[in-house]
Amino acid sequence: MDPVYIKLALGGLTVLGCIGVFFGIGLGLAAHRFAVEVDPRIEAVQEVLAGGQ
Amino acid sequence: MTPPLSHRTDRPAPATRHPRQPRIALLLLCLLLLCGCGADHRFVQKAEFRDSREIVITFAGPVDPAWAENRDHFSVYEKPDPDIPAQIDRVELGPDGRVLTLRTSEPISRDIPHKVVLEEIRSGGVSQGTAHLTVKKLYVGHLFSILIGAMIIQNFVFSKYLGLCVFFGTSRKKSTAVGMGVTFTIVIIAASMMSWFLHQFVLKPFRLDYLQIVVFIGLVSLTVQGVDTILRKVNPALFKAFGVYLVLVIANCIVIAVPLMLADNEYTLLESLMLAAGAGLGFLIALFLMSSVRERIEFADIPESFRGLPIAFVVAGLFALAFMGFSGMTIY
Repeated sequence: MDPVYIKLALGGLTVLGCIGVFFGIGLGLAAHRFAVEVDPRIEAVQEVLAGGQ
Repeated sequence: MTPPLSHRTDRPAPATRHPRQPRIALLLLCLLLLCGCGADHRFVQKAEFRDSREIVITFAGPVDPAWAENRDHFSVYEKPDPDIPAQIDRVELGPDGRVLTLRTSEPISRDIPHKVVLEEIRSGGVSQGTAHLTVKKLYVGHLFSILIGAMIIQNFVFSKYLGLCVFFGTSRKKSTAVGMGVTFTIVIIAASMMSWFLHQFVLKPFRLDYLQIVVFIGLVSLTVQGVDTILRKVNPALFKAFGVYLVLVIANCIVIAVPLMLADNEYTLLESLMLAAGAGLGFLIALFLMSSVRERIEFADIPESFRGLPIAFVVAGLFALAFMGFSGMTIY
């Protein structure tokens, strides 16, 4: 295969990987900063209930 | 065994919004409007296109008719091609001596900025110097025409047939329709701005244009997730009102069509903002119109087999026909 294509593909992979990591970290930070505290008892009670519906 | 609560629980409620914000927005708008007009020479008040072949120049005072007679004093050319002058057919001076009309022998394209050179303007026997003027379409008008074009003339739902599944899914009630439209507008503006930056500064320099679709799809879902996370904390009431629509936006194809159009047309930042806002508001208009009709159709006497979605499609078709009346319209 033409090495130019391999170079292009590898470049694409790298750049897209960087974008993905960057935005992933961004979303993770946002989720941490804007975390909504949920009462853990709600989940506990819901797990105990039958929950047919 | 309780998981640690967020460390921000004891923080006081956020302070009230600054009342200054609308004033700043107004100031920016005024600045934008001012940038559009204004000439480049102190003796020239205004230079603008009139017809497809005429350029009108307004002076601050009356100029000498003898100066205006000589055609060698004037030259007009397209700004990108300074070495191809346009042929000037006729030069007319208005009765008060302040309005000068240059008429070219061939039609000029108003989309391209033109340069007009007026050599040694003479007014009352005194030379006022040479003026190099740039004549162009008002930039604000150009932006406005993109906005209106995306909103009404080329409405994404009624003339491009995009985003139909969400359109029919959420237009049964007026309140849900407006909720969806507002959420959609916010998300599409955020997603388009981000995709514009990414396209201009990452994809184009690295020659990864062929990955546009993959990147834009990722960006749209990222925006939706981000808005979801932030809104849940910042404004829970609004979050509850948006409900499922926020997630539904991902399934809307207008939100992916707009970034692709921006990339294809090489729009600038402001133009992309206008296109995104126009697409969002156009969708809002479409949803509102459709839900108004569908609320009334509920009580209409419709043949059994047409009830529900079939009649909605018929109504959408009629709307599309009505919106065809706008096609071919231009502003400015």
